[in-house]
Amino acid sequence: MALLEVREVRKTFGHGGAEVPAVRGVNLEIDHGETLGLVGESGCGKTTLGRVIVGLEEATAGEIAFDGEVLDGKLSRPEYRRLVQMVFQHPAQSLNRRMRIATTLAEPLRLLPTATSSEVAAKVNEALRLVGLGPDYLGRKPRQLSGGQQQRVAIARALMPNPELVVLDEPTSSLDQSVRGRIIALLRSIQRDRNVAYLFISHDLSTVRRIADRVAVMYLGRVVETATCQEIFENPQHPYTQALLSAVPSLDLDNRRERIILEGETPSPATLPVGCSFQNRCPLVHDRCRREQPSLVAIGDTHSVECFAVTDGTPS
Amino acid sequence: MSLLEVNGLTVGIERSPEALLRDVDFTVEAGEVMGLVGESGSGKTMASLAIMGLLPVGIEQREGTIRLGGQNLVDDSTGTVKRTASEMTMIFQDPRSALNPTMRVGHQIGRVLQINRKMKRGEARTLAVEMLSRVGIAGAAQVARAYPHQLSGGMCQRVMIGMALACKPQILIADEPTTALDVTIQAQIFDLINDLVDETGCGVLFITHDLGAVAEMCDRVTVLYGGQVMEAGGLRDIFTRPRHPYTRFLFDAVDREVDPNVSEKDANFALKGCRFGHRCPQAFAACSEIPPLTEVEPGHFSACFLHEMEARVGSA
Repeated sequence: MALLEVREVRKTFGHGGAEVPAVRGVNLEIDHGETLGLVGESGCGKTTLGRVIVGLEEATAGEIAFDGEVLDGKLSRPEYRRLVQMVFQHPAQSLNRRMRIATTLAEPLRLLPTATSSEVAAKVNEALRLVGLGPDYLGRKPRQLSGGQQQRVAIARALMPNPELVVLDEPTSSLDQSVRGRIIALLRSIQRDRNVAYLFISHDLSTVRRIADRVAVMYLGRVVETATCQEIFENPQHPYTQALLSAVPSLDLDNRRERIILEGETPSPATLPVGCSFQNRCPLVHDRCRREQPSLVAIGDTHSVECFAVTDGTPS
Repeated sequence: MSLLEVNGLTVGIERSPEALLRDVDFTVEAGEVMGLVGESGSGKTMASLAIMGLLPVGIEQREGTIRLGGQNLVDDSTGTVKRTASEMTMIFQDPRSALNPTMRVGHQIGRVLQINRKMKRGEARTLAVEMLSRVGIAGAAQVARAYPHQLSGGMCQRVMIGMALACKPQILIADEPTTALDVTIQAQIFDLINDLVDETGCGVLFITHDLGAVAEMCDRVTVLYGGQVMEAGGLRDIFTRPRHPYTRFLFDAVDREVDPNVSEKDANFALKGCRFGHRCPQAFAACSEIPPLTEVEPGHFSACFLHEMEARVGSA
């Protein structure tokens, strides 16, 4: 059984005439100890989906099941809070700048009905060691740490209550390339140690490629393609995934890919067209795409695509 | 003679001995894209501000010459910078904050033309709309009447580029022009800049931390760290035969497994010797001095004492 199941989750902001659908019916599964990469461009709803899963936003519709149990409005319960943790993009903003690192790390345990103070201290030390920082950091404040060190502390804090799933929302986007590589390596070694599952949200495909087992690609609030990491990068099927991958600058000077330049821009979620939301930029668009919303169809054991042209063929 | 020649540029904080840029040399030729690469804090933006004469208050240029077409841009008698937008223009990382939020974008481009090219108002307005359609904005006349907040990030960056090019500059400085944008929009902007270089023959100083973007865009590369040039050469030299330990470290961070527990250190501007000395895995006694930039192969320069040692071992 999957650790987390997300079924037909929707999240709409605003109401009345000004509704903006940020997540429009998403289905996802994450297994124990697995990393699911959630990729997409800004405004596609990936962060909102992450926040719904952690319980920071309430879904407008749909359900979320954890270990098979549907969490119907129970997202705020302490036992679920313990199991699902989050790491945010900007560590400087997500750490309390008035708290010393030791206090920051101990806080998740204080809020849960657990442990004596000596147990807490031992756990704090262990978490700090796990993220590669020595005990001399315990007395410091966030401003005395570099961006990479701050993100290490944020990761340690998320791990304190022994979660089974950590939602990582662009955890490396604000960091330098050389620091980014270390944080990714760190996350992987923690995963081997603790068998924790990650939902790794990022717009940076090369980072996702280095950490994810499976990848889900989002466009305007819907998952348009999902497959194993290798399959997505080597055999992308959805025209949006293909364009997205071809747009990533590559370091390889000799095997230049042909870049697919998408025309136009992502439409605003507030004024979506009828039918497929990718229709105005899609090279494979045909009449049906302007009438009907396609849904995710399996084209292999682990590969699903939401595109009429791929799953049903283009009418000639 | 190069179009833009920066020689021995040294920039520091007033009344402080530390140099933010130390003896920086590079050139930009007409019709080429020169990449200035480095992590945050490496001094790449400081270099571009010095060239534009836009150094913030409290930061002074201590030494060095900046020549455009052979002419010194700093007036020796007054110490002031003389340059106009018709010679050099700059596009910034965050287009939204670089545009005036209270002015319609067409008017903003028009003002630049009125001031720099002494155009009449009507003439400037017509050309502004023309520039907008040149940078690939559909419905330029309508967009010209929009305020920046009504446009997407990609559109704002196009407006910035349109504004920069309206002056027909000889040098375009692009400071992380796509960092704030999604990859599919980034691909569009890269294409736009490339087309414009082909069309107008201007030289581009392309500042970025993204090695993928460098591979995609640049003809030559200068690698900066801690305000010091580490390595410089043709794109292929740097990407296939990086010589400097720092350049190698940068590439390793992108595509190889790194030890997660090596701590990150920031650049140390107080260092007397090589600025990478305190992080370099190959550092030795000589590194407490400043290594000279030496030619390791034709057109390929690297500043490291190791090359001297290698040469000695080679000849012995």
